Amino acid sequence: MKRTDNSEKKLSRRSAWTGLLMLLVAAAMLEATTLIQFYFAEKALNKEASSKAETQLDATKNKIMDMIDQAEAAVRNSVWIAQWSLTCLDSSERVCSRIVETNPVIYGSTIALVPGYSSERPLFSPYVYKSPADTLITVSLATPEYDYPNQEWFVKPLELNQGYWSEPYVDTGGGEMLMTTYSIPIEDYSGKKAAVLTGDISLDWLSDLVSNINIYPNANTLMLSRTGKFMVSRNKEMVKGLSIEEVMAGIRDQEDFKKVERGMNSGGSGHEQVTFHDIVGHVYYAPVERTGWSMCIIIPDDDIYGANRRTRNMVQIMQLLGLILLIAIVRSLIRSQKKNRALNERKNRMENELHIASDIQMSMVPKAFPAFPERTDLDLYAAIYPAKEVGGDLYDFFIRDEKLYFCIGDVSGKGIPASLVMAVTRSSFRTVAVHESSPKSIVGNMNNSLAEMNDADMFVTFFCGVLNLASGDLKYCNAGHNPPMILTDSIRILPSEPNLPLGVMKDMDFTEQQMHFNYDDALFLYTDGLTEAENINHEQFSEERVEAALHGRKSSEEHLKNIQNKVKEFVGEAPQSDDLTMMFIHFLGKPGNDGEKCHLTLHNKVEEISLLAGFIDEIAERKNLDISLASALNLAMEEAVTNVVLYAYPKDSDGTVDIDATLGEKTVEFSISDSGTPFDPTAVPEADITLSAEERSIGGLGIHLVRNIMDSVKYERIDGKNILTMTKNI
Amino acid sequence: MEVKINKNDNIVTAEFNGRLDTPASLEIAQDIESIKKEASGTIVLDCSQLSYISSSGLRLFLSIRKAAAEKGGKVIVKNISNEIRTVFMMTGFLNLFEIQ
Repeated sequence: MKRTDNSEKKLSRRSAWTGLLMLLVAAAMLEATTLIQFYFAEKALNKEASSKAETQLDATKNKIMDMIDQAEAAVRNSVWIAQWSLTCLDSSERVCSRIVETNPVIYGSTIALVPGYSSERPLFSPYVYKSPADTLITVSLATPEYDYPNQEWFVKPLELNQGYWSEPYVDTGGGEMLMTTYSIPIEDYSGKKAAVLTGDISLDWLSDLVSNINIYPNANTLMLSRTGKFMVSRNKEMVKGLSIEEVMAGIRDQEDFKKVERGMNSGGSGHEQVTFHDIVGHVYYAPVERTGWSMCIIIPDDDIYGANRRTRNMVQIMQLLGLILLIAIVRSLIRSQKKNRALNERKNRMENELHIASDIQMSMVPKAFPAFPERTDLDLYAAIYPAKEVGGDLYDFFIRDEKLYFCIGDVSGKGIPASLVMAVTRSSFRTVAVHESSPKSIVGNMNNSLAEMNDADMFVTFFCGVLNLASGDLKYCNAGHNPPMILTDSIRILPSEPNLPLGVMKDMDFTEQQMHFNYDDALFLYTDGLTEAENINHEQFSEERVEAALHGRKSSEEHLKNIQNKVKEFVGEAPQSDDLTMMFIHFLGKPGNDGEKCHLTLHNKVEEISLLAGFIDEIAERKNLDISLASALNLAMEEAVTNVVLYAYPKDSDGTVDIDATLGEKTVEFSISDSGTPFDPTAVPEADITLSAEERSIGGLGIHLVRNIMDSVKYERIDGKNILTMTKNI
Repeated sequence: MEVKINKNDNIVTAEFNGRLDTPASLEIAQDIESIKKEASGTIVLDCSQLSYISSSGLRLFLSIRKAAAEKGGKVIVKNISNEIRTVFMMTGFLNLFEIQ
């Protein structure tokens, strides 16, 4: 048992682990799928970011180039007139004014002479620019403070001999604007480098342009000049004119940034991933041709992948929570399964025990049928059809001294308590009925012992009968039980006094009744489980149906089975609520016929010897013996029995003498048996009855009388018993 | 079982009433002792109301008879029924007593 328990436990534990493992594998697979999905999503996002950035860079570059082109064109288109103005320097200012006037992109313009080109004016540079009020203002740049011949915009174009875009600078003359200047060398008609023509453009539009680039919420766009100075950034607060080195001082040592820096400064384009104060960013950069500028868009990693990653994290958290929930559910399921199993085991065990209790209960009542196969005068059948629960029904019967002792009873209540009381009642019946021969005293004795120990206030309805099989006389006592039915020529209820049930009160007086059974009469006893059997409409089987079912000639067994079937049919689907117990006693004896038996049991007390007289009288009456014969039989029996009563058992010890009489047609046979010391009365020497009174001894007369009266006397010692058998011819 | 004892001159009459079986014999042992004291005279055992006697009763009768024999008295058994007569016969008591 234990081993199976253990292996069962192991098995269940193993299955629990297997379940958990499978769950974990499923969770891992789900997680892997999620991760793969997110990996590809990131790749897609990355690609998207690249293309967005590149597109943006391209678009922005195109717009810048547009402006640059316009500005360059405006300046170039004025080269010829500037060339002409060299011949008439006073017109230079007008030329510049015209350039500014006709080209909205141009903020200011000047024609600056190469120093020394004109002997009259060694330094000459009239500068025309738009005032905030949109009027044209002319100032001369030919001041010693400004020193235009050393300005980049003047030096570079001459040096390179081509148009040149200056480094962006903050205009100090005008409105503190970031400016850049396109300057182009001018030759005079002789081909000599004479002047530089310039057009300034404000870079404020660039700043606006850059500000409008918002492909990602936190993306920044930077524009670097040729020398790596910040021109504009989307964030306007970003310091103008600071080098990227200065701004990114804190991250200078970062290899990533150096790459970007190098890339941008060398005028290339590309993409780098950088880490900035633990923030990962993606830098896309591209050159703006001709100007030498470089433009980059910095997108924080979070802008690209953030949403995706947050979703991923959320999904993972949800998955984790789901997994935890699932594990919890599985665990509680396993636990409740275990609990259920334990509960089921307990229930099964209880049911098992109830079955055992029921079996024990059933084994207490005689169940071997035919009950008396050797008897032709009695057909008895009894059965308990128990309800689902063990109940408190009982029946019992046995034959002693040619009398059938039988009973049927129903303990109040159900379940184990009822069955225990049933067991006690049944054993009480056996104990009492062994030496009491009247139903009244059997019932009275049982009542006393049950009432004495009845702490549970349970009672037993009980019917007890003693049927003399030789005479057909039935004595009975009904202690509150359903009266049985008697089957003679008709079927009727056996009249019975309504006594209280057993166990209610001590020392109750029970009424005994009697009737006579003739050949073929029968008695049907039952418990209320029969008459009160209910169908689904709550109708009861009732006595009428019982009576109807009892008609017809059947064996006892057939009767009972027939009734049981009828009840089953009647009850239908309704559950059996109470035990159903029935007993059918069919009397087939022929009172007064040959082979009658009489029995008497005496205790080894002298007073009981007197009981022999009644016993002999009954025999004499039955066999119609005359008085003298009866008296002689009485005498012989007394002598034989007295011997046993006085001498068979040690003084003051209890013993019994069993006396059986078999009444034959022509003989009466007596048998006296006792379990006392072995003694053969026939071995006692004959008394000499011819002696005189003086010579006569006191003893020896008894066995002499027995020998004289009886026709045969035989002594046997069988199974530790003295058995004296005597026959008298009649 | 009842025994009535009457004394008249030298004659003691004991009237037995009922069945003299073994228990009854034990009951009347006292009465028998008092009868035996009169054993020098004539003792009449009146059995007209005695319906039954067993060997125990017979022994009591015998003990009276023995006492009488010792003291020179005489025992008369009167009015015995047929059944008791048969018993007396079977036991040889008819020869021991004067039966009237």
